[in-house]
Amino acid sequence: MAKVVYRFSKGERFVHWLHGVSFLLLLFTGLGVLTVALQPLSNIFGGIQVSRNIHRVVAVIFTIGIIIGFVGKGEGARQMRRWVRDVLNFGKDDFAHAKNFAIEFFGGHKPFPPQGKFNGGEKLNSMFTILGTICIAISGYIMWFAPSMPQFLVQWAYPIHSACALFMAALLIAHFYLGVLHPDSNQALKGIFTGWVPAKFAYEHYEKWYQEEAEQTLKEV
Amino acid sequence: MARKMVFIDTSLCTGCKACSVACKAWNDLPAEKTKRIVSYQTQADFTPTTWTYVQFRENYKNEKMQFNMIKLQCFHCADPACMKACSSDAIYKTETGYTLIDQDKCIGCGYCTKNCPWEVPKTDSKINKTSKCTGCIDRVEAGMKPACVQTCQPGALQFGDYDEMMAVAQARLAELKLSNHKANLYGDQFMGSTTYLYLLEDTPYSYGLHPNPVSPISLTIWKDLVHPLGGIAIGASAVAIAGGVVANFVMGNYAKRAKKIAESHNEGGK
Ligand code: HEM
Ligand code: SF4
Ligand code: SF4
Repeated sequence: MAKVVYRFSKGERFVHWLHGVSFLLLLFTGLGVLTVALQPLSNIFGGIQVSRNIHRVVAVIFTIGIIIGFVGKGEGARQMRRWVRDVLNFGKDDFAHAKNFAIEFFGGHKPFPPQGKFNGGEKLNSMFTILGTICIAISGYIMWFAPSMPQFLVQWAYPIHSACALFMAALLIAHFYLGVLHPDSNQALKGIFTGWVPAKFAYEHYEKWYQEEAEQTLKEV
Repeated sequence: MARKMVFIDTSLCTGCKACSVACKAWNDLPAEKTKRIVSYQTQADFTPTTWTYVQFRENYKNEKMQFNMIKLQCFHCADPACMKACSSDAIYKTETGYTLIDQDKCIGCGYCTKNCPWEVPKTDSKINKTSKCTGCIDRVEAGMKPACVQTCQPGALQFGDYDEMMAVAQARLAELKLSNHKANLYGDQFMGSTTYLYLLEDTPYSYGLHPNPVSPISLTIWKDLVHPLGGIAIGASAVAIAGGVVANFVMGNYAKRAKKIAESHNEGGK
């Protein structure tokens, strides 16, 4: 028997994985164009032109899928909007958590004040992701329709698109580590697949959220 | 072969457009349906199969009209922005000073187009290939003049070794300056100096040209800053997580984890 609490709605999990899978496809199809040394990567997709077309098709899915995730009255969309509100509300307690990021990252532990549904570190990751996603999408469409766009806009879209792609890829590597490889924080992994996380883990990492909301969903499985 | 120059003396240009026809003929480029754009101009911009055209501007001063006619094509910059922008190392420089696109390597991404100050290269999106003026490199390397120069009747186009043509251009500028103080050379002061050099009778602006074209700063940021820094960030992140796994292993955190999870099964939240 294990005690668990409910963390992520269906909608949130769906958007997370839609974003994740399409991000990886966009990254690997994009890298083939980034530089000649990486062009052979596009052979995985059947050549550079196929790869470029996949980049465009997935870009549309990526954009529409994510926008749809936020609209409507459903539980998922409400939770998505709440995530954005939470993330933008970065306070003292979040800072106190985030400043020990390096210590936790390398396996140490330092006490931090009780955290809400998203801790300081997650809020920073989310902020970079939200900003990067908006910038990469806008710059991507400008590049796509370059011939009918003003010259200076396209010229600046190039470095912005590349910067977002590469820095978000770096962030993704760390995100993968914390979600999958890190012995403490990877207990969250089940949450993004099933919606439920171990209650003890939730209490230790998100005490404020646990007290205020999560405990009401406590059940044994 | 030494560096070459095509010197374009706009004061001698009559706007006959024979150069653009010769270009089509020599390079086997199909004719395109044209329409009047402005004045006698019938071509608005370069296309994948139109590599040179004559632009007409009618400028009025004291109720007198001055025709500013100019043959446009790739400038074949010594330091070309298009080459730096290219995703596929498809653009290269020749000893003779030409900037060429290797059609086999080109993927049609169009990165070169918007980074060229004049947006010269044009992509055929059906075949994903980008093309522009080749300077008739095949003729030049065979010791002939480019097709446009060969055909120019009024002698507005001249071709030769760079240094010799520069002397011709300077002499012609001095001559023109006696009666027209606005006369100026366009091409020797930017983009590392261009292979196609113009003598203009008026400001570049009055020909619809950038007064001071430059390789965009965004291009430098993109290729020399973002690409290497982004690569470093990805590398650093990968090294950090490898370090993280090792550190956690050494501290015994993976072993502790199993114990912790077993506990949490019994205890619930608090
Ligand atoms: C709405 C989303 C997006 C759109 C519309 C878009 C569109 C484009 C376009 C048009 C190009 C030019 C290359 C070509 O013509 O084949 C490009 C390049 C690229 N894209 Fe995207 N993209 C999007 C999202 C992404 C994402 C999420 C990533 C990364 C994870 C990404 C990574 C790249 C990379 C690395 C390049 C090459 C950049 C360079 O050459 O420096 N893109 N994208
Ligand atoms: S004019 Fe444009 S296309 Fe031609 S060499 Fe210069 S930058 Fe490249
Ligand atoms: S369109 Fe061709 S020549 Fe131009 S940047 Fe892309 S690959 Fe290079």
